[in-house]
Amino acid sequence: MTPDLIYGLTGIAVFGIGLVGALCALDRLRRVLALKLCSVGAGFLLVVGAWRAPPGVPDPVPHALVITGIVVMVSATAVALALIRRLQTLEAEDER
Amino acid sequence: MADPLMIFDILLALSIVALATASLSVRDQFTMIVLFIIFGLLSALAWVRLSAPDVALAEAAIGTGVTGALLLKTLHHLRFVSGSRNRQPMTGVAPLPPVPLGVTLANAAFCGLITLGLAAGFLGAPAAGPGFDMLVAEAMPTSGVAHPVTGVLLNFRAYDTLMEVVVLLAAVVAVWQIERGLSEAPAPVMGVVWQGFARLALPAIVVVGTYLLWGGAEAPGGAFQGGAVLAAMGLLLLLTRAYVPQPGHRGIARWAFVLGTGVFALVALLVAGGGRVAFEYPLEHAKTLILLIEGMVTISIAVTLAALFHGREPVALTTGGRHDT
Amino acid sequence: MSVDLSPITLAIFVPLFGAIMAFLLPRAASVIGLATLALTTGAVIWLARAVLTGGAVVLPLGGWGAPLGIDLRADGLSVAMLGLTCAVGFLVSVAALDSLKGAQQARQRQYFWPLWLLLLTGMNGVYLGTDIFNLYVMIEVIALAAVGLTVLSGSRAAVQAGLEYMYASILGALLFLMGVGFIYLQLGRLDFAGLTGAEPTGALIAALALMFVGLALKTALFPLHFWLPAAHANATAPASALLSGLVVKAALYIVLRLAQYMPFPSETLLTLVGLMGAGAVIWGGIQALRAERLKLLVAWSTVAQIGLIFVAFARAGEVGLPESWKAAALLILAHGIAKAAMFLAAGRIKDEIGHDVIRDLDRSPIRPTLAQFTFALAAISLIGLPPSLGFIGKWSLMEGAMAAGYWHWVAVTMAGTLMSVAYFSRVFAGFLRFDRVRAPVGEHQGWALADAAPLTLALAAIGLGLLAAPILGFIEIGYPFGVAP
Repeated sequence: MTPDLIYGLTGIAVFGIGLVGALCALDRLRRVLALKLCSVGAGFLLVVGAWRAPPGVPDPVPHALVITGIVVMVSATAVALALIRRLQTLEAEDER
Repeated sequence: MADPLMIFDILLALSIVALATASLSVRDQFTMIVLFIIFGLLSALAWVRLSAPDVALAEAAIGTGVTGALLLKTLHHLRFVSGSRNRQPMTGVAPLPPVPLGVTLANAAFCGLITLGLAAGFLGAPAAGPGFDMLVAEAMPTSGVAHPVTGVLLNFRAYDTLMEVVVLLAAVVAVWQIERGLSEAPAPVMGVVWQGFARLALPAIVVVGTYLLWGGAEAPGGAFQGGAVLAAMGLLLLLTRAYVPQPGHRGIARWAFVLGTGVFALVALLVAGGGRVAFEYPLEHAKTLILLIEGMVTISIAVTLAALFHGREPVALTTGGRHDT
Repeated sequence: MSVDLSPITLAIFVPLFGAIMAFLLPRAASVIGLATLALTTGAVIWLARAVLTGGAVVLPLGGWGAPLGIDLRADGLSVAMLGLTCAVGFLVSVAALDSLKGAQQARQRQYFWPLWLLLLTGMNGVYLGTDIFNLYVMIEVIALAAVGLTVLSGSRAAVQAGLEYMYASILGALLFLMGVGFIYLQLGRLDFAGLTGAEPTGALIAALALMFVGLALKTALFPLHFWLPAAHANATAPASALLSGLVVKAALYIVLRLAQYMPFPSETLLTLVGLMGAGAVIWGGIQALRAERLKLLVAWSTVAQIGLIFVAFARAGEVGLPESWKAAALLILAHGIAKAAMFLAAGRIKDEIGHDVIRDLDRSPIRPTLAQFTFALAAISLIGLPPSLGFIGKWSLMEGAMAAGYWHWVAVTMAGTLMSVAYFSRVFAGFLRFDRVRAPVGEHQGWALADAAPLTLALAAIGLGLLAAPILGFIEIGYPFGVAP
């Protein structure tokens, strides 16, 4: 067993766990977190794809893609969380 | 076969999966976020094992650090709005009816099948298969930088990176739009020790961030990691109330948000000409131009991430809620 | 040093700089926005001329060339989509000038323009992109800007709908990203040309399935449409027009392109896609018949029309695919123009009457006749009456299905057409009845300059049907379906 196999399956498992959470979780914050898990799973897949058995040097392109993906995901998370905060405030105002 | 590294890999992989499951199933939301942060750090460690230190740095700093801070801030806000710090107010003000267990199980089974299918597809794919290795190796001498990941990010696939900065810009515009006039939950009280720590830590963070940016040309690091570390400084300033955003600062903030995108896009357009196309830096200026872009992008990323953490646009609040013009 | 500008980069960079300027100078945002739209349209016309004279245009950014670098490529279909986006976008912008002019909307106006111009950047980027990872970044630009536009009004319903839209968008994009990962694993490259002729291995089938489901979620194909009606019905009128007319088309376009480069591995899958489309046609029709509010009805009709586009795509099976995409492309153009007109008209009707409850439309003494006329014209194209562009699209759908002997797709199209007649008639009844009006019937208000933009769009939706042949000829330029370019 090589690291790419172990971590590739880890990534797919994390993606699947995130998928369950994204479809089933009621709690809004938890759904955001589940989506973030999915993105980590996809990141694992790309990093594993870039890995080359030592002494090989990994392919830098997927690394760059994952870094881009991480920044994109933090932006999307920030917007989703802002929506959650706004919605909760509006709901609390309606309660009053 | 008792390769200690392999045992380490397997244990790490199992902990990552266990933490992912635990963070989604634990009841308390604060625990959920803490488990997620540990999960993120362990994932970063796994990526170090896969010889991807740049990605690991970005995941630890942005994917885990900034995301974790955003989640904690939101949790704090939600608990404040719901008026109780002890109850679990999370599913909205009116508690939602629980989903029937059958539906949850069916969904889980469905996702399980998808996961198995993906695993089968993964096992069938060529291991250490074709890639860009040769192409990158050939093009590196003309890229203007020495570190391959930086070369990909800022030269070969610079268009992707520009659009990624555009995503950040879109996010901050959207967040300002969404949270206009939203009153803010008072910041959690920080002790004297924390304030002192912040004072000590700030200069160190600046040094580390600048080093990451500068080092990105040769070693792991670069604009995104450096930006995230500088953003951490912004978070500390905001949390300790050493800096409180004022309505008058909006103009400069807007400029800081667009600085990276604007300079990047201008350089990309202006180098075209004399047989070159957009993004094709002249070889003799490539290093300078890339450093210029990286520097500006770092500033924008740092300010934008800090602004995403702060959330609402700093406007003079009219008391009494929804009126937000 | 002279700077060579090429229309293909301008089509992406002009809206980007416009967005930056509109964000920096909020007071001048409207002027900057309109100027940007005009300049972008100019760039697209320039590009269209280049494509007409010289065939497909390819620009290797950074001079590297695919697969290491990223290429931009414009062919007939890309330029048609760019043209649709700019023309509809320009007219919606004109309408937005009016509907956002009040002092109440000062903040909406300030954010509408940067978000809309960023959205335009993202959409133009999708239509010119040839790299699947780049497409992922572009659909995220679109998603964030589109969600920002959805919640522009700040009402609780809009924020709630925007959050659901955001979840669906992120999940769709991540499924797509996972598909990109599988493609990299199998093929080691990410450009379209690298996908051609690849053997359908397990990893590639997984990639295709992930990308298709992700895009179906983004374009709201039944049964993944759950987020669309609320999001489109609760947005402000110009935002609804942009979301329904243009935004959902970006993901649809990527589906068309992927099918061009990665042929569907089997007939069964194509039939499944057609069945999902048929489900959308029927379910969207039923929900539109039951909708109580005008904008909700229009939003459900979008679900049905998206389904019809997928039916057109599957109309003649695998062998018919090299022709079927043209029917789908025509329906995309027709729907984009007509639906933007209809949402703007619905917004005008709501503004004038003060509500959009369909049952009470005929109680109002105020008759925004011009907007109602626009709504009816747009409905003609959406129902598919001659000579509208919608008619040509539906006709070529049914023609292809009949030629292939696939009568079930003809039946679905007919059923969808009948249902659209039925649900739009509910609205027309409200326009034409006067016996329930309690006030003097003569009170006709609601003529406004703001009607000019939607009316132009609706007239274009009908008139372009007469130009169907040149349009079809244009979208085929540089686009030999199924053959590697």
